Amino acid sequence: MANQVVVEPDLQFTQDLIAAGAGDLKKCFQCATCSVACRIAPDNNPYPRKEMIWAQWGLKDRLMGDPDVWLCHQCNDCSTQCPRGAYPGEVLKAARKMHIQESAWPSFLGKLVGEPALFVLAIGIPVVLVLLLLFGLNNGLRFPAPKPGEYLVHYGEFIKYLHIQIFFTAALAFGVISLLISLKNYWNKLDAANPALAGGPRKGFVPSLIETLADILPHTTFKDCEANNIRYSAHLLTFWGMIGLAITTAIVAGIVDIPHYILRGPEGIPPSRSGPGAIPIKLLGNVSAVAFLIGMVIMIVRRFTNPEQAGKSAYFDWFFLFVIFGAGVTGMATELVRFGGAISGAYVLYMIHLMFVLSLFLYLPFSKFAHIGYRTVAIAWGKSVGRNMTLPAKPNYVPAPKADTAGEAG
Amino acid sequence: MDHKLGVYIDTGHGIGQALDVEALMTVVKKEMKVPLCRADSYWDEPEKLAIIRNDIKNEELTAVVIAGPSSRVYQDVFRFEGIITERVNLREQVIWCQPANHEDTQMLAEDYLRMGITKTKKYEDRAPFMEETDKSILVIGGGISGMTAAFEASKAGYQIYLVEKAPELGGWTGKFSKVFTGKPPYDQIVDSPAKEKIAAVNGAANIKVFTGSRVYAISGAPGMFDVIIRPEGEWTTPMNEAQQHWLGKKLAQNAMEAQGIDVKEEDRAGQPPKIDTETLDFPYEKIRVGSVIIAAGWKAEDPGKYENLGYGKYPDVITNVQLEEMVAAGKIARPSDGKPVNSVAFIDAVQSDSANPFLYSSTVACMVALKQAQYLRKSNAQGKAYLFYENMRTPGQYEKYYQTLQDDPGIFLSKGTVKGVSNGSAGLGVEVKDTLLGEEIKVNVDLVVLSTGMVPVLNDESVVNLTYRQGPFLPQNPYGQYDSHFICFPYETQRTGIFAAGCARQPQDIQGCELDATGAALKAIQCVELVAQGKAVHPRAGDQSYPELFITRCTQCKRCTEECPFGMYDEKPDGTPLPNPTRCRRCAICMGSCPERIISFRDHHVDMIGSMVKSVNVPDAEDEKPRVIVFICENDAFPSIDMAGINRMQYSPFVRFIPLRCLGNINMVWIADSLSKGIDGVMLIGCKYGDDYQCHFVKGSELATYRMSKISETLQRLALEPERIEVHQLTLNEYHKVPELINKFIETLSGFEPNPYKGW
Repeated sequence: MANQVVVEPDLQFTQDLIAAGAGDLKKCFQCATCSVACRIAPDNNPYPRKEMIWAQWGLKDRLMGDPDVWLCHQCNDCSTQCPRGAYPGEVLKAARKMHIQESAWPSFLGKLVGEPALFVLAIGIPVVLVLLLLFGLNNGLRFPAPKPGEYLVHYGEFIKYLHIQIFFTAALAFGVISLLISLKNYWNKLDAANPALAGGPRKGFVPSLIETLADILPHTTFKDCEANNIRYSAHLLTFWGMIGLAITTAIVAGIVDIPHYILRGPEGIPPSRSGPGAIPIKLLGNVSAVAFLIGMVIMIVRRFTNPEQAGKSAYFDWFFLFVIFGAGVTGMATELVRFGGAISGAYVLYMIHLMFVLSLFLYLPFSKFAHIGYRTVAIAWGKSVGRNMTLPAKPNYVPAPKADTAGEAG
Repeated sequence: MDHKLGVYIDTGHGIGQALDVEALMTVVKKEMKVPLCRADSYWDEPEKLAIIRNDIKNEELTAVVIAGPSSRVYQDVFRFEGIITERVNLREQVIWCQPANHEDTQMLAEDYLRMGITKTKKYEDRAPFMEETDKSILVIGGGISGMTAAFEASKAGYQIYLVEKAPELGGWTGKFSKVFTGKPPYDQIVDSPAKEKIAAVNGAANIKVFTGSRVYAISGAPGMFDVIIRPEGEWTTPMNEAQQHWLGKKLAQNAMEAQGIDVKEEDRAGQPPKIDTETLDFPYEKIRVGSVIIAAGWKAEDPGKYENLGYGKYPDVITNVQLEEMVAAGKIARPSDGKPVNSVAFIDAVQSDSANPFLYSSTVACMVALKQAQYLRKSNAQGKAYLFYENMRTPGQYEKYYQTLQDDPGIFLSKGTVKGVSNGSAGLGVEVKDTLLGEEIKVNVDLVVLSTGMVPVLNDESVVNLTYRQGPFLPQNPYGQYDSHFICFPYETQRTGIFAAGCARQPQDIQGCELDATGAALKAIQCVELVAQGKAVHPRAGDQSYPELFITRCTQCKRCTEECPFGMYDEKPDGTPLPNPTRCRRCAICMGSCPERIISFRDHHVDMIGSMVKSVNVPDAEDEKPRVIVFICENDAFPSIDMAGINRMQYSPFVRFIPLRCLGNINMVWIADSLSKGIDGVMLIGCKYGDDYQCHFVKGSELATYRMSKISETLQRLALEPERIEVHQLTLNEYHKVPELINKFIETLSGFEPNPYKGW
C-alpha cells in the first residue's frame, strides 16, 4: 500500500531526546491538547502532537526532518496545559537541539557543544586559543603601562589590533561558513524527509527568505505566543541589541579600523581607541549592549522565577546562555572598568571577553546560537513549500454572523 | 380467614387539609365495615405507635391498615410483630399529585382505602416453608476465586466442600509466572499468590477438598442440595455431548417460538438429558449442601478464528496464554527456531466481525499485555514491545502500571486495527491501520502475541449438572452472562442458591476474583441462613410467603414449569409441577402464568387482586368520570409514581394503581374483572426488558407483554376496543414521563364511549 510506512523505532534516538531534556516524552497519550493550546500551530498537521508520537516511537528521520519544531517559540502553553505532564514544549526544544547536532558540519563539533561531559574541552578551546594569541604573538599578561594624558588602558598594546582583526574575522568566517554548510545539509534533509511537500509547487528560496525575515525581524509570530509577552520583549531587545552590536563592530572594524591599517599601516593609532564619542557609531554599540543585557537578564531571571512557563533548562540552553551572556557582561564590564580606571582589571576582563566572543563565533553553528540560522531556514523552507503557518486571527468557532452580514462573512 | 382490622388515617403531611377525613372514616366504618378506625396526625411518632400497639393488644387486632405516606417510607416504623400491616398511600399518590379538596381527589383516596382494606381482608394465614436444611457450602473450582470463596466462607464457620477437576489446586493463577497487583508502588509485578492461597485452604479445618473430581449431579434446592462428586474421567464427554445437543435444540426451539413459528414435534428439545442419580456404579461421594458457589473459571478463547492474524499459519504467532507458559518455563524464544526474541507485537485480538466484538475482551487482556511487555523489557534491554489495541483499559490504580510501562522507551503503544500478519525476511510483518501515528504502519517483529479472550467454561463443559426440569445449565443472557439482575445482584444466577464468582461470571483479574469470591461467599451464607428461617433469599429477601398449588385442579399445562425464570418447578411423573419452595424468589410469575389460577401466595393471590379491582367504586356513565386500573410493578415502576408525586406532578385523578410483585404476575382474569366491572381502560407498567433489562425477575415484564398480545380474544368477547389496554415500561428515573403516560391514555379513552358494563 502506497501510504503504508514501515516503522523501525530507534531506541537510541528516543533516549537521546530524553537525555536532551525531553524526559517525559513517553507520557504522551495523544490527546492533542497541546496542538489545540498552541496559538501558532498551523491548521493542517499541527504540532506538537505528531512530534510527540514520533519522539515516542523513535522515528528519527521523521523528527529530524520536521521543520515544524522551529515554528515553536517555546511559550510552553502546551506543557502547562498537558494533562499528562509530557511537556511537549521540552520535546520540541530537545528536537531542535538534535536538529542542530545532526546537521552540524563538522559533526564532531556538534557533539562537543551538546555534551555536558565535554564542557571543559568546549570552553577550553577558545580559552587556549586566546591564551596562545596572548602569549604566542603578544606579551602575555604583561599589561602596558599607562601613558598619562594619552591613555590609561591601550588594548592595542596588550594584543595587537591586527591580530584581533585577523583572528576573530577568521573565527567568525569559520562559524558562518560552517553554519551555512550545516544549513544546506538541513535544507536537504527537510526536502528528503517531506517528499510530498518538497515535490509540490514551490516558491524560490530568496522570496521565501525575504518573507521569513519580514516575520522574524519584528518577531511577529513570537508575539502571537501571548503567554510569552515578556519573553517576546526580552528576546526582541536581545535580538536587536545583538544586531546593533554586530553593526557597530562591523562598521568599526570594517569601515574605520581595517581601512586605517591599509592606509596607514600598523603603527598608527586606530580611531576606534580614541575614547567614547570619537566614533559616533560607538554610541549605537553602547545602546545595543544595554538593550542586549537587559533582554538577557530578563530571560535568565524568568528561567529561575517562572520555570513552569519558561520550561526546563537543559545543558544545551545553559551553555549558550553562559557564552552569550558572558560575552555581553564581560564586554560591558571591560568598558566600565576601563572608565573606572582599574587598569589590570580592564585587561583581564578584556582577555576573558575575547574568550567569550571567540566561543560565540566558533560555536555559532553548534550551540543554541545556531537557532538564528535554523529557525530562519526552517520557516523559509515552510514558506517555500507553502506550509500554512498562521491561524486565523480569530478562532474558527466564533458565533455565526448575524443575518445581515452573513453574505459577507461567507 | 377473618381478620380483625384497625384502620389508621394519617391527617398529617397535609392530608387532613386536602381531604375530607370524616368522609374517609365513613367509608371505612360504614362501607367497609371496619369498626376500629382512627384519624390522627403522624402515626409514625412513638406515642401514636403506642396507640396502635394498644389497640392490637386490647382489641385483639390481627391486621392494621395505615393510610398515609407511601409504603416505601417508614417501613421500619410500621412493623408490628405477627400482625399483617398494609399501607394505603394517600400522600405521594393522592394529595401530592391531585388538587386539594376536590371531589375527584376525595374519590381517589376513598378508592385506595377500599382497595387496601379489601386486600388486607384477603390475607391468608399460612406458616412459612420450613424444612430441615443444611448450611454447608459447595464451591466448584479450585482456582483463585474458588479458593478465596472457600477460605472466606470457612472463616465464617461454615463447612465447605471444594471440588477441583485438576489434580492440584491453583487453577490459572497457579500457572502464572508473575502477576500485577494494583497495589503500591504499582509498577511491580510479583509472584503469583496461588501458593499462599493453597496453603490457607489446606490449613482450614472445615474445608474438604476434592481434587481430580467433578460434580456429577446437583439436585434438590437451596438448603437441601444433594451433590454427587465423581472422580474426573472420560464420563464427562458423553454427558457433555448429550447436554450440548439438547441445549442446541432448546435454543433453536426458543428462537423459532420467538419468531412465532410453529415448532414441529421432532424439533422440540423435550426433556433435558437425564442424569442418572440412582444407579451409581462408579466411585463417588454424596454430600448435602445449602448453597453452591460456582468458580469454574475460564478457558482461553479458541485462537483458531484469528487466522487473519497469522495464528496457525506462522509458528511465531502465539497467544498470551502460550507466552505466559513460555515465561514460566524459562525464557522468551521464537517457537519456529528457538532464537531469542527482540521484538514482540501484542495484539488485542477482538473479533471485529462478530456482533459483540468485545465479548470476552477485557481489562485483563490489556493488563496482561502490559505485563508481558514488561517480561520482555526486563529480560532484554534492547527489546521492543508494540501494543496495538482498540481500547487500553487499565481502570483504577492500574492506570499507574500503564503509566509506568508507557514511560519505558522500549514500549510502543498505539490504538490500531491490525490488518494482517505476514512472514518476511525481517520476521513477521504486522500491518496496522488507524494508528495514533495517523497513518497505516507496518512493524517487523520476532513474535506476535494475540490477547485472546477469556471464555467462561460454565456452559461449554458439564460443570453444574443440575437435575432441574429446565435443564442442567445455568441460564445465560445474550452476552453469555449468568446474572439475574446485573445492576443490583451481580453474583446471583438465575438458579437460586447457586452463585457465580470470578471468571466464571465475567473476565476479571486476580484482585477482582478475590473480591468477587468474597462477595459470593457472603451471598451463599445469606442463602443458607435465610432458607433455614423459611425466608426468600433475594431479591425479596426475608419474604416468608411461598407459592402453594391447589394441585387437584392442575391441567398439566406446564406453563409454570416453563415460565419460571428460576427453574423452581420440577415435574412429577404424572406431569404436574413439583415445587421446590426454597428455589423460589417469590416473584409470582407462575401465578400469572397459571390459566387455572391454582397458584397463590398467602399475601398475594389472584382472588386478592381481583377483589381489589372489584372494590373500586365505578361512577355511572353519565357522571363522565372514567376509571382506569393500572397494574404496576412494585420494583421500579411503582417508585417512579411515588417520585412523580414527590415532584408534585399532577395527573388525571381517574387512575387507580395496583402494585404487583412483578408485572409477570398479571393474570388475564384481572383484566376481565376490570372491564366487566365497568373500568374504562387497563394499563400495565413494568420494568424495562430486553438486552439491558432491569426487570428484577429477568423476564416478568416481557412475559406480561407477551400475554397481553393475546388479550384480543377477551376484548372481543366483551365487545370492547383493543386500545383500552396499554402496556408500558418505565425505569426508575423516568418519573417525569408518568403524567404524560397517564394523561395520554385518558385522552385515548375519551375517544371511546364509556365502558358499557358500568353499573352491572
